[in-house]
Amino acid sequence: MQELVLSQPVSTVRSELVREAARADAQREFEERLAECGPLAYRVARSVLRNTADAEDVAQEALLRAYKGFERLRDRTHFRGWLVRISFRLALDKLRSGKRREQRDTLWSQPAHLPPPLTAEDVAASNQFQNHLERALDGLPEKFRLVLLLSAMEGYTVEEIAAMIGVPLGTVKSRIFLARKKLAEKLRCHANTIKRR
Amino acid sequence: MPCKHYKEALIEAAASGAAPSGELRLHFGECASCREAFAQEQFLFSAIDSDRHAAANAEVPASLVPRVRARLEETIAPRLGWMQPLVLASACVALAFAVFLMARPHHAAPEEVAKQGPVMVPAPTAPKTKANPEKISPSGSQIGALRVNHFQVLRNSTNRHSAASSNREVLVPPDEREGLAHLVATLNERRDFAVALRAQRPEKKDGLVTVDPLQISDIEIKPLEGTETETSDGAGETH
Repeated sequence: MQELVLSQPVSTVRSELVREAARADAQREFEERLAECGPLAYRVARSVLRNTADAEDVAQEALLRAYKGFERLRDRTHFRGWLVRISFRLALDKLRSGKRREQRDTLWSQPAHLPPPLTAEDVAASNQFQNHLERALDGLPEKFRLVLLLSAMEGYTVEEIAAMIGVPLGTVKSRIFLARKKLAEKLRCHANTIKRR
Repeated sequence: MPCKHYKEALIEAAASGAAPSGELRLHFGECASCREAFAQEQFLFSAIDSDRHAAANAEVPASLVPRVRARLEETIAPRLGWMQPLVLASACVALAFAVFLMARPHHAAPEEVAKQGPVMVPAPTAPKTKANPEKISPSGSQIGALRVNHFQVLRNSTNRHSAASSNREVLVPPDEREGLAHLVATLNERRDFAVALRAQRPEKKDGLVTVDPLQISDIEIKPLEGTETETSDGAGETH
């Protein structure tokens, strides 16, 4: 004989309470991680965008997205790598959309031929080098770019980077090496600019 | 221009940041252009590294974390802000519905009676002048007792049942509900028909009932033939 049990309302309330408790726990845990991982998200964005205000906006957005998805993150030990990827993707998107906007603005508002700035040669050379480097970085595959970016940060060893992004140590090392080599290839023709810097 | 043979080796050495190997170091001692190319490569890589280092280790604004916290609170607050009015509104609607159900009158139209489930219908009140039906006026009170106003529909609810218990009630099978409702409506509309129905009812006078005595013939008792039985122990007792 089939036994009918009226258990749904009780189980619904219980599951709702459990969910609420889990949400509160996740919020508390995220708050704890915020102070630690906030600067990391900002630095990733800053090294891509090279702009303080934009980097802060991107870091905020990345942290908010991370918060929204924090409950769904199965392994919380991967939080850092996850946040780095979110921040990196957002920064790249912003950089690309900013460049498109900049191109449009330049086409519409500026005359076609502007005289080169006649200020100090060193500053000009420095700006030129940065422009060349940015272009060279844009041409790099994203996986190379991310590893290069993280390796330039203080406080993170190659082993930590490997653990953070979930890639073997040897792969991280080879990516860093190849990324620097590719950048050097692209910048070699501008060596005279660097010399004057 | 560096020598073709050592070009790749000196780039590799500069990229890795390690000291040049023995053969390459010997060559640098002999070839000034390779030595200069190696220095140029080292300078290039250090320029790249220093630029990357400067970009990656920029000072974090102190406002970052507080601003993120503020935005998080803004994100969380609307979620609750939406929930609370929703809960309140649904509670108000439920309360209003409950009040409406309680305040709702208990009678229903005859047409509705037919649509409802098993019902209890109050029977017409017994006339006090039942013994003399011929004295009833055409607009007699017997039929008046069957007015629709008194035709209360009672559901299975015990509260309603007790509330309507002042009238006598009859249980109506579902297949007869419609017919009964129709009859009541007809009787209310056509009083003469109702009176005629009442008048045609044959009178039944009480009389003495006689019961004939029961005739029972004499019973002849005979012993049955060949009904000897033996007990199981084989004693051979005869009954």
